[in-house]
Amino acid sequence: MMYAYIIRRVNLLVVTLFVLTVASYGLAFLFPGDALMNLSGVVTTDPDQYAELKQKYAFDSNYVYGFFVYLGHILSGDWGISLYSGEPVLEEIARYMPATIELSSYALVLSMLIGVPVGFWAGLRFHRSIDYTIMTGSVIGFSIPVFWLALLLIIVFSLQLGWLPMSGRLSLLFDIPQRTGFILPDILLSDLPNKADALYNAALHMVLPAMSITIVTSAVVVRITRRSVADVMESDYMKAAIARGFSPAQAIMRHGIRNALLPILPQIVMQFTVLLTNAMIVELIFSWPGIGNWLLQAIYLRDYPAITGGMLAVSALVIMVTLSMDMLIRAINPLKRRDVHGTI
Amino acid sequence: MARSNFYQESQFPSPFQQTWMEFKKSHMAMIGLVLFAIFILLLLFAPVLAPYSPDQQDTESLLLQPAWDPRGTFSYLFGTDSLGRDILSRVIYGSRTTLGISILMVLMAMLIGCAIGAFAGMSRGLRASVLNHLLDSIMSLPSLLIAIIIVAILGTGLSNCMWAITLALIPQFIHLTRDMVRTEWHKEYVTAARLDGAGKVRILFDSMLPNMTEKLVVSGTMALSTAILDISALGFLNLGAQAPTTELGAMLSEGLEMAYVAPWTITIPGAAILLMLVAVNLVGDGVRSALRYRLHQ
Amino acid sequence: MQLLDIKNLTLEIETNSGTIKALDKVSLSLKKGEISALVGESGSGKSLIVRTIVGAIPDRWKITADRMTWKGQDLLGMRAAKRRRLIRDEMAVVFQNAVGALDPTATLGEQLLESVPSRLLPKHSFWQRKQSRVEIANRQLHRVGIKDHVQCMKSYPHQVADDVCQKVMLAMSLVSQPELLIADDPTMGMEISTKVQILRLLTKLNQTKNLSILYVSHDLLAIAKMATNMTVLYCGQTVESGTMEALRATPFHPYTKALLDSAPSFRKDLPRKSQLSSLSGTIPTLQHLPIGCRLGPRCPRARRECVKAPATRKVHGHSYNCHFPLFEDC
Repeated sequence: MMYAYIIRRVNLLVVTLFVLTVASYGLAFLFPGDALMNLSGVVTTDPDQYAELKQKYAFDSNYVYGFFVYLGHILSGDWGISLYSGEPVLEEIARYMPATIELSSYALVLSMLIGVPVGFWAGLRFHRSIDYTIMTGSVIGFSIPVFWLALLLIIVFSLQLGWLPMSGRLSLLFDIPQRTGFILPDILLSDLPNKADALYNAALHMVLPAMSITIVTSAVVVRITRRSVADVMESDYMKAAIARGFSPAQAIMRHGIRNALLPILPQIVMQFTVLLTNAMIVELIFSWPGIGNWLLQAIYLRDYPAITGGMLAVSALVIMVTLSMDMLIRAINPLKRRDVHGTI
Repeated sequence: MARSNFYQESQFPSPFQQTWMEFKKSHMAMIGLVLFAIFILLLLFAPVLAPYSPDQQDTESLLLQPAWDPRGTFSYLFGTDSLGRDILSRVIYGSRTTLGISILMVLMAMLIGCAIGAFAGMSRGLRASVLNHLLDSIMSLPSLLIAIIIVAILGTGLSNCMWAITLALIPQFIHLTRDMVRTEWHKEYVTAARLDGAGKVRILFDSMLPNMTEKLVVSGTMALSTAILDISALGFLNLGAQAPTTELGAMLSEGLEMAYVAPWTITIPGAAILLMLVAVNLVGDGVRSALRYRLHQ
Repeated sequence: MQLLDIKNLTLEIETNSGTIKALDKVSLSLKKGEISALVGESGSGKSLIVRTIVGAIPDRWKITADRMTWKGQDLLGMRAAKRRRLIRDEMAVVFQNAVGALDPTATLGEQLLESVPSRLLPKHSFWQRKQSRVEIANRQLHRVGIKDHVQCMKSYPHQVADDVCQKVMLAMSLVSQPELLIADDPTMGMEISTKVQILRLLTKLNQTKNLSILYVSHDLLAIAKMATNMTVLYCGQTVESGTMEALRATPFHPYTKALLDSAPSFRKDLPRKSQLSSLSGTIPTLQHLPIGCRLGPRCPRARRECVKAPATRKVHGHSYNCHFPLFEDC
């Protein structure tokens, strides 16, 4: 049962990634310009080099064979060269991706830390005034366009109050060698004399982008949690627990929390995908050197190898995160519910 | 005349009436509905309601403050932008574009998605399995990401954005309709209709569709809020509506350079998007909780 | 000894269409070692009484009672913590819907072990406590008729059959060795053989351990065999109460008579192919309760006076609420 499920999920992962590579191969032909140039990113007028490229991507054969050759290149890590910077796409992705993951994961953790307790609070006070207050806040938070929120935060905290920096990841004064790609661990690993200052500076840079994503995401988490908690509090087993002589607090601790959280974990994890998209937009606004910013620049510059590579990388990240979280949740959830696509 | 029956006559309202009665009880939902109605009015009567044309430039008053600022005037209620265009009129026309296109996209996605979903729900075997696999993978990608990718292929522009977002919205409707058709299919009333000799199409339209309408409305409002968010995000990213078209997201990105001098060029269009989304989400929440109440009674 | 004594309990529920008296002056009493039956149609407020006794009702519902005592201690005025301790140690409840009353994400074992009270465990040897907890739980499972305790303990509620859940629920309530067992339709949905087994177990516990049982059901046949007393409820009003024999021999209230008549197995003299008797009409909904005696509109003997609620009258420990009882001369 469990193995069948895992196989099904892994199968899904492989199929999806396969479809994505087919799409990215197809895109090279759909994009304007020369397909070979779109695939490799090499701009050349030299006929010898062109022939060599043709050989490399098996352009003389049919498309199916060509695709498998391309798949081979993808798997061996040759994702072509960026038309704009002339660097290998995969290297650029590896350089920008950690910044995005860092921002998103801090925001996700923060959203859960804020959203779940507040949602519990609202759910326990279902249809009382505090619940209505929280829900009003949550509807607004849920409705704020993240790019507008980011701009407002910049106007208020950076331009008018001048408390927080408005762009970038770290002040240019600090020169941190890149090791993991994640800024906070990198600073800790570095041998700078003023580590504390650098850490403080990095944290300051992170506040506004993380805050704009967190506000939007935690509003959604609040809604999900509140609904689930209210449902659990209505349930027969909570009434039974109280009838058995537990105090409401004991009943919630022993039976409420687990029952309220288990069904919504997949829904909260599904928020990661939305969060990542929001992060991509926010990156552009704060000039955060992440994959979203990079991908959008590639789109503006019509850097086709970078677009296909970025698309492949981001989608693969999203799918792998959701699938692995889904499997993890299923492993800890005794109710083998198949409820991946939840509602809010 | 004496009352002949001992109990008060109880009128049993139809399911839709019940939902509506429950919906009316919620103040939040009614506020949302009124707001939404206002936006619909703006959409229908923009040329009458807007004081100026959205492109009319008043070179005398560039970057004029809104009326509540001492430097502002009442002839430009929300002030003007860097080209001297009236922001109020631009917001009205922008809302018209954003909301109108979003509604259009949602309707289109709903139509296509429901058709495919109903087909998938009724088919069995390999066909259904392949579709499920594909859907599951696409569903895990957020709609804006799909839209960005599609725009990257098709190229920027409002009509391309429309196609991209419509395509990105379709999977959720397929998923919903498929699941609903699957669960309803096994219920007794459908079996009864089948035993009466009703064909698949007839069962779908006569028996199942009335039971699915409200759920479709709920997910329609959710899709509408996604669509508004996506179209304005693409507009903001300069991938969507281009210069002559007035669109709220694009207005935001135009105001970006002047954000320090004229913050109102950003705050006002953004607030319009926020209000629009609040209206849609409140209506959606209202219908959802009314529906939940009715079904759990 | 009077164990549970409830007099004129009224429960008011706030709804959209005004306040409703879901329970209207209900009286109920139970002596030590007695099996008392609480009978009524579904919707007559039986489960509400159970929930009121154990205090599992929302705060916004208003309870008033002339008297509601447990062994002479006032339950309503009691501090919440004390009342909970009392309920945990001395009472136990089996719920109607066992599958819903069990936590779906905890194994049956966890929930059963949770119900084993610490007073039954060895005091000083804390290292043996877990072990003895498990032993007590297993013994209780065997007692309610579950043979494979290992499998049962590690299953989740959704993995076992409904009647196993019901039995585990019963085991959970009996494991704390209560003085009073409140059984809210404990045999609902069970097969007849299991049902007999459970009823026999309850009777045996009553005889050997002097366990008092408040048996809530509409299964007259089962009740008639085991109960010593019976209280009949209609639409949240007590209709009649007394000993089982007295009630069966001479029901005073028209509703009690109708209820007894509706069970064919109680009438040996029933001619073949005759109509089964029943009251005309249906139970009114909570929103449209008649004033006075709530049976009024359906009662064959109703007169003008019935729009006023009848006071309780008592004849030889047999009390009834009716203006025009069936045997006026008694």
